[in-house]
Amino acid sequence: MSTARLAPADRLLLVVSIGVPLIGLALFFLYPLGTIAVRSLTATDGSIGLANYAAVLSNPGIGAATWNSLVLSAATTAICLVLGFAIAYTLQRTRLRGRGLVTVALALPMLAPSLVQGLGILFILGRNGLVHKWTGLPVDAYGFTGLLISDVFYALPQAVLILQAALRHSDARYYDAAQVMGAGRWRQFFDITLPNARFGLLSAGFVVFTVTITDFGNAAVIGGNFRVLATEIYAQVSGQMNFGMGAVVGILLLLPTLVAVAIERVATQRQFGGGSESAIPVPPDSVRARDLPLGILVHGAALSIILVVATVVFASFVRLWPYNLSLTLKNYDITIAGGYRPLWTTLEVSLVAAGLGVALLFLLAFGMKRLPPALAKLAYLAAVLPVGVPGMVLGLSYVFAFNLGDNLLGILYGGSLLIALCNFYHYHSQGFLTMMTGMRTVPPALEEAISCLGGGLGAVLRDAVLPFIATTAVSVFFFLFMRSMVTLSAVIFLITPRLSVAAVSVMRLDEAGFVSQAAAFSTCIIITVLAAMMAMRVALNWASRRRA
Amino acid sequence: MSQLLKRTLLAATALIASASAAQAGAITVYSALEEDEIAAYLAAAKTALPGVEVNVLRLSTGDLGARLIAEAANPQADAVWGFAVTNTMHPDILKQLEPYAAKGLDKVPAQFKAKDNAWFAATGYVGALCVNTEVMKAKKLPMPTSWKDLTNPAYKGELVMPNPASSGTGYLQVAAILQGAGEAEGWKLIKALDPNMAQYTTSGSKPCKMARAGEFAIGASLAFVAMQSIEQGYPVKMVIPSDYAGYELEASGLMKSSKNKADAKAFLDWTLSADAAKLYASFKEMTTLPGAPQSAMAKKAGLPADLTKVLYPMDFAKSAKEREGILKTWQATVGR
Repeated sequence: MSTARLAPADRLLLVVSIGVPLIGLALFFLYPLGTIAVRSLTATDGSIGLANYAAVLSNPGIGAATWNSLVLSAATTAICLVLGFAIAYTLQRTRLRGRGLVTVALALPMLAPSLVQGLGILFILGRNGLVHKWTGLPVDAYGFTGLLISDVFYALPQAVLILQAALRHSDARYYDAAQVMGAGRWRQFFDITLPNARFGLLSAGFVVFTVTITDFGNAAVIGGNFRVLATEIYAQVSGQMNFGMGAVVGILLLLPTLVAVAIERVATQRQFGGGSESAIPVPPDSVRARDLPLGILVHGAALSIILVVATVVFASFVRLWPYNLSLTLKNYDITIAGGYRPLWTTLEVSLVAAGLGVALLFLLAFGMKRLPPALAKLAYLAAVLPVGVPGMVLGLSYVFAFNLGDNLLGILYGGSLLIALCNFYHYHSQGFLTMMTGMRTVPPALEEAISCLGGGLGAVLRDAVLPFIATTAVSVFFFLFMRSMVTLSAVIFLITPRLSVAAVSVMRLDEAGFVSQAAAFSTCIIITVLAAMMAMRVALNWASRRRA
Repeated sequence: MSQLLKRTLLAATALIASASAAQAGAITVYSALEEDEIAAYLAAAKTALPGVEVNVLRLSTGDLGARLIAEAANPQADAVWGFAVTNTMHPDILKQLEPYAAKGLDKVPAQFKAKDNAWFAATGYVGALCVNTEVMKAKKLPMPTSWKDLTNPAYKGELVMPNPASSGTGYLQVAAILQGAGEAEGWKLIKALDPNMAQYTTSGSKPCKMARAGEFAIGASLAFVAMQSIEQGYPVKMVIPSDYAGYELEASGLMKSSKNKADAKAFLDWTLSADAAKLYASFKEMTTLPGAPQSAMAKKAGLPADLTKVLYPMDFAKSAKEREGILKTWQATVGR
C-alpha cells in the first residue's frame, strides 16, 4: 500500500500514527542517550576526546567483567529460550492442566521488586538458607550459579511474552497437510512450528541477552565476586563518581543491541504459516507422550518461581528471619520512607506509562511496514535500542536531558509524567518486539481486501489489525504496567522529596536495615498489582462482552 | 473522543503541575543520613523552625553523589545534609557549595569543617566488624579484636567486606588501614586479609547484613548497622578494630544555587543547635559537637565512651585526593 493512494484524511492518520511515536522516541530516548554519548567523550578536565574509552579499555578489571557478562548472558539466553518456548507452547498449544498457575507464576518476577528474588534465592539456597539447614550441605548461591538462576527468573517472563505472541496465531491447515503427508509430530514441530516462530525466537533471544547484560540489581545482590559490566558502571558512577568512565561502559553495552539489525532483516521477510486471512486456528490438544515431560518442565519452573517469592512473603510475617520464626504483623506497620503513600503514586504512574506506552507502540508497529525501507530500518533500530541501556544510565541521562529549569522540556523534571515516560522507554524494546511479533500474524491479504473495498486506514485498523492484535496489546499493557510498578534503577534519579515510588520505598527500607519491612512492602506491591490486574481483566471482559 | 482528549490533557497538566516544588518557606534538602534518624530530626526541626517546611530526599551516599553531580547544571537542592565528606570533596560537588559560617560553627573543632566553611560535619559514622556469635560458636572461631587478627587462616572464607571501588564504607576501611599502617605495611595487611575474604560486596551495609543472617561469620561494615542489628535481636557482637578503625564524617553545606538561602541557613544553624545535639546522642555513635552524651544503643553495643581513643585521626583531604590511585592499586593487587 503506497502512501500516494491514500485519501487525505488517511494520510494524516498515517503521518500521526508514525510521527507521534517516532517523535516520542527521539525526544525521550535518543536525545537523553545523546547526552550520555557526550559525557563518554568528555574527559575529567573537560576536554573532548577518547580519553575515557582508553581509560576503560586499559582498566584491569574490564576484560574479566566483559567475559563474565558475555558468558552469563549467553547461558541465560540458552536456558530462557528453551524453557520459555516450552512454557509459551504449553500455554498456547496444549490443554495441560494448571496453565493459569503458570501464568501467575510468570507474572511474579515481573511485578515483584528485584530485591524479592535475590532475597528469596538466598533464603533458600544461601549459605545459611533453608536447604543448608535441612540437609547440612555446604551450599553457596553467591556467584555465577545464583546469578544465573535469578537472571533466568528475571528474563524468562519477558521471553515468554514475545514467544506467546509468536505462537498465538497459526494456521491449522499446515499441520493438517503435514499429517496427511505422513509427517510425525517431531517433523511438524521442526518444519512448521519452529520456523513460524523464528522471528519471535530471535526477538526473545535478543531481549534476554540484553536485559541480562544490562541488569545490575541481581548482580549486586547475589553476584558475589562475579563482576559484570553493569556492576562496573555502578562502581564508576556511584562508587567513584566518575561519570565519564561510567558513560563509556554504558555506550559499550549498546553494542549487543546492534544484532537487532539482523533481526530486522528477518522481520522484513515474509513467513508462511501465520497471517493468512482464512487461517484456521490451531486447536490446543493433549498428547500424553508430549505433555508429561513438558508438564514436569513447565510446572517445575513455575513452582520454583512461586517458592522463591512465597519464601519472601512468608519471611515478611516472621519476627526475625532466620532466628525467630514466630509470626507477626509488625513488619507491615511502615511509617518511615513515606509509609504506603508512594504505592498509590506508583499505581498512577504505571497506569499512565502502560496506557501511553501501549498506544504509542501500537501506532509504531502499525506504521512500521508503511514506512520507506531506509527509514523503517532506522526507526526499528531506535525502537529496540532502549533494552541495551542500563537503568542507571537511562535515569542519569534523563537528569542531563530534562533538568533544564523552566523551559518547555524542563517543566517535566520533578514530575510524575517524566517518571512514567522513563519507565515506558526503559521497557520500550520488549513492548515493541512483542507488538511486532503480534503484528506479523495480521493477514496482509485481509488489510488489502478492506482497502480494496474502499475501507480507509481507520477501517483497516479496526477490522483487520485490532482483532488480531488485541490479546497481544493487552499483554503488552500488563507488561509495561508491572515493570513500571517495580523498576528502580532509573527512577532513583527522578524522584523528589514529595514524589517517590514504591520500588524506592523497598530500597530505602532495605538500606535502612529493615529487611523484613522491605519484604512486607514488596508483598503489598505484589498484592496491589495482582489486584489491579484482576480488576482490569474483569473490566476488559465486561467491555468486550458488551461490545459483542 | 474530544472529551477523553480534554480529560487526558487536564490530567497531564496536573501531573506536570505537581512538579513545581518551589514554594515560599520550603526548602529541599539532600541527605544520606539514615531513614529513622531523619524522621526524628525533622520532627524536632519542625518545632524549632515552624515557618520552614523541610523536604528531604534521602538516597544512599553513592546514588546521592551521582545525582548531585548530574544535576550540577541546574541544582535542585537548597542544602546538603549529612553526606560523606569524602564525596563532598569531589570537585563537581564542592563547587556547588557556598561557604557559610553557621551559627554554632565555632564549637565544631577545626578538623571537622572546611577551612573556608564550605562544609561542616556535626556527626559521623565509624567502621566496625559485625561478628555473628552463633556462627563463631558453631565453627569454633576465636573472637577477633583487630584487622591483624583477621589474617588468621582459621577465618578463611568467613570474612566479607565492601568493595572500596563501589562502596564508601569499603574505601574508608582501606584508607584507615593505609593511613594508620603506612603504605607498605598497609598493603601488606590488605593482601594478607585477601585469602580469608569470601566476598567484596557492592554496598557497605551488606557485609553486616550477611553476617547477621548467618551467611558468613564476620562482616566488615559500619557501627550503625551493627548496633541496629543488635537492637533488632540478631546474634551479633560489634567489634571496633583496635588497630585501624576508620570513620567518615557526615558533612552539611549550603548550595550556591539555593533560591531560599534564608531558610536553608536557618536549617543548617539548627543542625548545630543544642536541640539537634541531644538527638544525635540517641542515634549517633559519633558526634563532633562537644558535650553530647553517648547514645543508649552505642552503650549497649559496647562502643567506648571516648571514641577518639580508638579512632585513627583520618586525613580526609588526603583520603579524597589519593582515592583514584588507591583504588587502582587495590584493583591490581586484590581486586576480583
